[in-house]
Amino acid sequence: MADSTDSNAPPSLGGIGWVFTRYANFTLGGGSATTAVLHHELLEKRHWLNDDRFTLCYALGRLTPGTNLLAVCTGIGWLLHGMSGAVVALLAASIPCTIMVTVLTALFSHWQENAFAQAAIHGAVAAAVAITVKTCWTIAKPHFKGQARLRVLLIGAAAFLLHVVVAIPAIQVLLLAAVIGTFLPLAANS
Amino acid sequence: MSLFLLYLLLLKGTITAFAGLASLPVIQEALVFQHHVLTDKQLNEAVVITRSTPGPVGLYIVSVGYFVAGVPGAIAGWLAMITPALLIIPLVHFAGRKIEHPRVKAVLQSVVIASAGLLLAAAIPLARDALTDPITIAIAAVSLVVLLTTKLDTLWLILASAVVSLSAASLGLIARI
Repeated sequence: MADSTDSNAPPSLGGIGWVFTRYANFTLGGGSATTAVLHHELLEKRHWLNDDRFTLCYALGRLTPGTNLLAVCTGIGWLLHGMSGAVVALLAASIPCTIMVTVLTALFSHWQENAFAQAAIHGAVAAAVAITVKTCWTIAKPHFKGQARLRVLLIGAAAFLLHVVVAIPAIQVLLLAAVIGTFLPLAANS
Repeated sequence: MSLFLLYLLLLKGTITAFAGLASLPVIQEALVFQHHVLTDKQLNEAVVITRSTPGPVGLYIVSVGYFVAGVPGAIAGWLAMITPALLIIPLVHFAGRKIEHPRVKAVLQSVVIASAGLLLAAAIPLARDALTDPITIAIAAVSLVVLLTTKLDTLWLILASAVVSLSAASLGLIARI
């Protein structure tokens, strides 16, 4: 069972569900902005957990595969109310935005038949290419510091070339990277 | 394609990625190149749709699921998106701060950096599909500069790009409508 919270009685499942529904789904600005809003809401406003626990969930969320934000919410839910808290937090943080995206995708498919919508979508899709390319830098940037810079360039370029030139499947490139990571000398700043 | 197989293929992407779009190369490989149930165009559109809503980037999986198999596919996408999040429970419960071990961090760092390289590779077919005339190439180039130099929310960028493209088409600058 998870530890109890810091000061007050554990929040109700309904309370957990409401907070994650409201703040994990409807905050513009992506994962970082949402994490900041959750930090404010859970720590400063509601005092449901302390900074150490939030930081632990945040750090472990980054190490959990998949969408980091959902893992952070699940971890916080676990700390607040055990397994039921984790499940409620995960469902609350994922169902409303999933419904939004499903509806939008359905509308998108419908709009395809309209010539004007098609022209607008064409421009938006061009922007999406830029977003995807920029995300490469967003992913690599936190590691691109000090002596690790060369490592970032080498591993990033090797993954790119192995996949594009040698045609090694993406999943095998990732596994290879994990194996290499176990043998690399530890960076001074890691 | 059965829904369970779709779930497994999407899960293969999400469970090996450590950031929203990092799963894209694995998904692209499985659904676009191997099973041919999705196109690069739809993959691009899934990114547009997800970045037009306030939720996490990883939601593009839901869009992908919808494009492949309608609402049941979207549910498979949702399940593939939330399944890996449950792994944080044993991490919080057992590992705690031990996960900060330098060796563990080095392994994860390598995987994350490799996923950035793979994502750049995945962007090539996406660009080939989307950047078909001078206007769209200009939109992508300007968007990239804006993204790298400002903190503008992607929603505004997508809307602006849509308006530019629509205006260009209306003025007859691109012969699409």
